[in-house]
Amino acid sequence: MTRFAVLVVVVALAPLVLHYPELETQILTFGLLAVAFNLLLGEMGFLSFGQATFNGVGAYVAANALIAAHAALPLALLAGLVAGGASAAVIGALAITGRGVYGVMLTFAFNEMAYYIAFQWRDVTGGDNGLRGIPSPALFGLSLDDATRYYYFTAVVVLLAFAALLRIIDSPFGAVLRAIRENEDRARAIGFRVRRYKIAAFAISGALSGLAGGLYAELFRFVPLQAIDLDTSTNVVIATLLGGIGSPYGPLLGAAIFTVLSNSLSHVWSHWPLVFGLIFCAVVLFFRGGLWGIADRWGRRAAHA
Amino acid sequence: MSGLVEIQLLNGIVQGMIYALVAAGLTLIFGMLDIPNFAHGAFYALGAYVAFTVVAATGNFWLAIAVVPLVVAGLGLVVDAFAMRRLARAGHVYQILFTLGLVLIAQEAIVLIWGANPTSVDVPRALDGGVPLGVVSFPYYRLFLVAASALVIGAVWLALERTKYGAIIRAGIDDPEMVACIGIDVQLLFTIVFGIGVGLAGLAGALILPIRGGQPAMGNELMATSFAVVVIGGLGSYLGAVVGGIFVGLTQAIMTILYPAASEVAIFAAMALVILIRPQGLFGKR
Repeated sequence: MTRFAVLVVVVALAPLVLHYPELETQILTFGLLAVAFNLLLGEMGFLSFGQATFNGVGAYVAANALIAAHAALPLALLAGLVAGGASAAVIGALAITGRGVYGVMLTFAFNEMAYYIAFQWRDVTGGDNGLRGIPSPALFGLSLDDATRYYYFTAVVVLLAFAALLRIIDSPFGAVLRAIRENEDRARAIGFRVRRYKIAAFAISGALSGLAGGLYAELFRFVPLQAIDLDTSTNVVIATLLGGIGSPYGPLLGAAIFTVLSNSLSHVWSHWPLVFGLIFCAVVLFFRGGLWGIADRWGRRAAHA
Repeated sequence: MSGLVEIQLLNGIVQGMIYALVAAGLTLIFGMLDIPNFAHGAFYALGAYVAFTVVAATGNFWLAIAVVPLVVAGLGLVVDAFAMRRLARAGHVYQILFTLGLVLIAQEAIVLIWGANPTSVDVPRALDGGVPLGVVSFPYYRLFLVAASALVIGAVWLALERTKYGAIIRAGIDDPEMVACIGIDVQLLFTIVFGIGVGLAGLAGALILPIRGGQPAMGNELMATSFAVVVIGGLGSYLGAVVGGIFVGLTQAIMTILYPAASEVAIFAAMALVILIRPQGLFGKR
């Protein structure tokens, strides 16, 4: 609970300290995506290599709801959330047919398929040029067409979603997911319908990813093709691992660091992904708990001392 | 019929042989060593770029084809000995994540060393020209590519299934402790298999270079398709990788004639269909 309170304070004060509300909004949407991804990896033990699929589906659906149907922002975001969840339930059901590595490869391959569909389906996605013409954000007549205002709107939505996710992780449902992670056969032997739990976890993860996509679409009033490409999926994996998969707060931390670094380092040295790759390999080899894991250990040691 | 359809189908087989080479290595490394190598496409890209350097330095493409598999296999040996062994106990997820880091490093290293612009080399002079086919002709080089790939795929299979060394490797996989007891370095064997697997990907990259040229992202584009190939053929099945590769190459070619917009999506649709009907893949064992 105290952690969540600290998070709320940090999110509330961030724009007063750092004056880049667009960047901070990006951190929040990307953070939500990473947290959603980690429900599958950290809790259930499934590496989803196609998280951008659900993000992209949510972004395109929300954007089209705003453009074509003139839907109100909350409705459009809800549409993105539902679409993200539905797409994840379908892909998840197919992906978990094969165990382990098979499933990872399937999420990867389906992401590529979704990318090609988005690339070709210009009427809905704008194809290569991206989807433009999204109306400026407004909430019940109140204009959010101001970077700081939109940041706070996003902050409220993301924090609510995060709180809901924490509740899910703490629930008996979350405990079953961890049981599946630790020993799938045993979970099945006890009588849990493992397949249903897995698909439900996919649906929840996809719904939050779709919500993140919708929020992102309204941020720049633009959906680039990158919203659904494999590079974005890869970035989610990298950011989450850097932050740490052992806690829901880890991916948030990782997303913040990744977003800030990729925005600033690309100006300093264009080959920065090389260094990033090396750091990432080092994390995988030596620091599997990620930054949150390291900080957590320090915190505990300090508490003991 | 002016030969264009035939050309398209032949091109499908050419592309299919490339997929088969790549997927054979992928499935070898997974089937025998239980390592999911998500950096397989990076080894393919490195193969193309090393071939480019050899051709640029010596002007000899044949030398490039001979050198590339050795260089790429050498890189594979280092990766396996240094990291993959260490990660074996951590499980598949961490092996995948490590190879993902390798992809980042390799892609950016390629940009750093060779630049971001596409590279290309000429078809070797001995294979200039082609077989006339209606109003068009089919390049000799592509026929060579098909023959060379088939030869290598067959040779690797024979080596693993019909030689003493192949028998030792298979025994080492079935019962590592027993094989170690009779005085054989099992880890070394495994590392060699890893090298052979990525060497196949490197060779595929070198062979495609005169046709497609090289781009830093070429490995990533190939990766998703290779996954579709091994899912269709059955992960771990050598024959499945070869048949799946040719099937996917031909499917792409046929769809390019019928409905180009869906030529990529068709492969993944086929993959989804295989999962629903036969989850272990066409040649996979349950």
